[in-house]
Amino acid sequence: MFLEIKNLTKKYNYLEVVKDISFSIEEKEIICILGPSGCGKTTILQAIGGFIDIDGGGIILNGKNIEKLDAEERNIATVFQSYGLFPHKTVLENIIYGLKFRKVKKREAVLEGKRMLDILNLRGYGDKRVTALSGGEQQRVALGRALIVKPKLLLLDEPFSNLDTKLRISMREELLRIREVFNITMLFVTHDQEDAFSIADRIILMNKGRIEQIDSARSLYFNPKSEFALKFIGSSNIKDGYFVRPESIKVTSHGGKEARVMDKTFKGSFMEYIIKYQNSSYLMYRLNNEEELQIGSKIYIEMGKKKI
Amino acid sequence: MGVRKKTLDFLDLAFKLLVAMVVLVFVLYPFVAVFGKALYRNGRLNFSEFLFLKGELFLVKNSIVSATLTAFLSTLFALSIGLMTFFASSRQRKIIMFILLLTMVSPPFIGSLTYIELFGRNGLITKQILKLSINPYGLWGIVSVQTLGFTSLNAVLLMGYLDAFDNTMIESARSLKANTTSILLDIVIPIIRPAIAVSFLLSFIRSMADFSSPMIIGGAYNTLATEAYLSIIAKGNSPRASAMSIILFIPSILVFLVYTYFSKQEQRASKSSRDTKGELKKTGLYYAIMVLAFFFILWVIIQYSAIFLAAFTDKYKGDTYFTFENIINSIPYLKDSFIRSILYSIIAGILSSLIGLILSYYSYIKNIKYMRVLDFISNMPYIVPGTFFGLGYIFAFNKWPLELTGTGLIVILNLIFRQIPMSIRTIQNSMTQIEKATLNSAKDLGAHSLDILKDVVFPMTYSGLFLSFSNAFISSMTTIGSIIFLVYPSKKLATLVLFDLVSSGKYKLASVLSVVIIIICLSVSLLSYRILNRGRENVS
Repeated sequence: MFLEIKNLTKKYNYLEVVKDISFSIEEKEIICILGPSGCGKTTILQAIGGFIDIDGGGIILNGKNIEKLDAEERNIATVFQSYGLFPHKTVLENIIYGLKFRKVKKREAVLEGKRMLDILNLRGYGDKRVTALSGGEQQRVALGRALIVKPKLLLLDEPFSNLDTKLRISMREELLRIREVFNITMLFVTHDQEDAFSIADRIILMNKGRIEQIDSARSLYFNPKSEFALKFIGSSNIKDGYFVRPESIKVTSHGGKEARVMDKTFKGSFMEYIIKYQNSSYLMYRLNNEEELQIGSKIYIEMGKKKI
Repeated sequence: MGVRKKTLDFLDLAFKLLVAMVVLVFVLYPFVAVFGKALYRNGRLNFSEFLFLKGELFLVKNSIVSATLTAFLSTLFALSIGLMTFFASSRQRKIIMFILLLTMVSPPFIGSLTYIELFGRNGLITKQILKLSINPYGLWGIVSVQTLGFTSLNAVLLMGYLDAFDNTMIESARSLKANTTSILLDIVIPIIRPAIAVSFLLSFIRSMADFSSPMIIGGAYNTLATEAYLSIIAKGNSPRASAMSIILFIPSILVFLVYTYFSKQEQRASKSSRDTKGELKKTGLYYAIMVLAFFFILWVIIQYSAIFLAAFTDKYKGDTYFTFENIINSIPYLKDSFIRSILYSIIAGILSSLIGLILSYYSYIKNIKYMRVLDFISNMPYIVPGTFFGLGYIFAFNKWPLELTGTGLIVILNLIFRQIPMSIRTIQNSMTQIEKATLNSAKDLGAHSLDILKDVVFPMTYSGLFLSFSNAFISSMTTIGSIIFLVYPSKKLATLVLFDLVSSGKYKLASVLSVVIIIICLSVSLLSYRILNRGRENVS
């Protein structure tokens, strides 16, 4: 066990925002804490980083209890949502700032900083002001500044929230690459399930200060253990304790149950249909390489219902 | 509809003309008049008034030396207080804010009063406690009194900057193992450097322009400001006073240009939650900051306790006893001057806010070019020393058609236009929150330019107007430099009566008057803070 969180509790003015949370992380894993805003996910990150005092529980990193240590004594680096770059320093000065407290000589630090710029595809950016950089570049500088001190654990708070869709995708790949280069363990929080699904080995799903489920993206999607997990992740039709995902409703040429197409919306790669079956409405997806159904037409369907 | 539009168009034009006229007549004209007085004689350009620079260059040197020392010390203390509150709880911040407010609502020379009482030849601390007999007058007297007076505004300025500080920068630095001293030296102080520069420069100008503290406490240490004042009061030599005021004005304008440059550099840091702050380790530099900040706060507390004590006590055969006698004795001094002061300050507060609103509407929101020029001109009273502005009024308004000298009107006008720059700043600051789309929507729905002013801009800048009123009121209650030459001896204002009492050594009575001024200003300030906060709560 690389990082272990034991019965972590945090209150703000008597309001418990994190309630008795326990989980653990293996070395080199990428773990994501996923949940709606206000679920306590950022609080957990701040507690591990050492920026808030906790009201109960333990944090064990590499077999050592660290919950009493100050932020500067923990071997953990954090990349903040707003990056927290130093606007009065250049890119290179930002990146090598942490080496100052590890007794690295200035010359070596500059060399190491330049290597880091290369790794992050920021060659030639060293003398620029960080304020002159784009969001994606600032994000990489923040990453480089955290990585250069070779932390055992990297924490990332909503790492992709300030980036547009295209940059998001390339930054996700970047993070996966960085794990290979630096052999680093990462814990990040997000409210965006696509971020979580794309790079996390395991996802910790949170709601109202509690853990709902810890699982791989696949099991979280196919075997949600609670109604919250089911509703939060993906779309679904829920009827009488059973659920069926919209893409799991199959139209058959013969046999099956009778249903009627009520409405349809073009969604790009797929069509979204509303169908009526036994007096209830269901959401159904069909890829757009299949035949398009007409509103009002009668169809026959099969659906694999699952128990929640 | 047609008639309504015509009437409103006419009113719109009338407003513009009126604003343009008052700014040109009551700001630009007096300003030019000072230059005229100093430079023109018998219709010709004449520089002979500036010859004092040859023989009396020490005046310039004295001014610069004392201003530099004051600016350095008041910035150092302000920085310590700012950084201390950065690490303090919100409760501690409130207490410190109150203490700072206390010095900000006092007349500028009030420090001199207690300085003499505490550290003078018969001072409580120097003579009675330390058994010393030292001369308190001179350079260090001026510097300590001014430092006490100027530090608070600087501290409030720096606290404003630090409030907007992006806390994740500090957390990032901590997670990179930076210690408290490094965080302060590498991150916090460099980032607020523009604010530090601004507070240094601001104190420098204020110190250069201040004649009241050097008059009372300077002894033989004369400065340009005191000499300009004495040239008028004692020698009636207004060209000489004008020339000296112009020399005083030069560093001010330089400093103002630098100030504008630094203001543009302001970091627009995002405001982040401050839940996680206040847990920095207390090492090295932190203790130095605490020592300086506490020293200043202690100093303020001692000074103000001394004023309050002096107001309510007297001595008999070496024993100090409690009495209301001082208060009774001060009633003749209080009666007329205070009512007049309050009345004038209310008028100045309302009118400077209203003119500021109309001017800002045309220059800032409607972006009319010539209004932006007027906006710039109306900033002049902020740059020039108070005495400069006062002299300008004497020279400008002593003959037909505007023969105003000796009237109450000239004093009120001077107070109004002296406060205009601050009003404009406050109002435009709250105008930044009005979105272009809101204004365009109103226009789209058929609102006339004046309807927009009345129905959209006025209600949305309400808090700014309120703040502007209370600031202008307090400044008018405590100002002295710009009005000292304008006030007719029989129609004195409270600060002038106080200045006379301090100058003639009537410290007990002066203490009573100080206490009254402080209580009035403090109540207005706290009341406006209350009302503004309640307004904010209603919104959210």
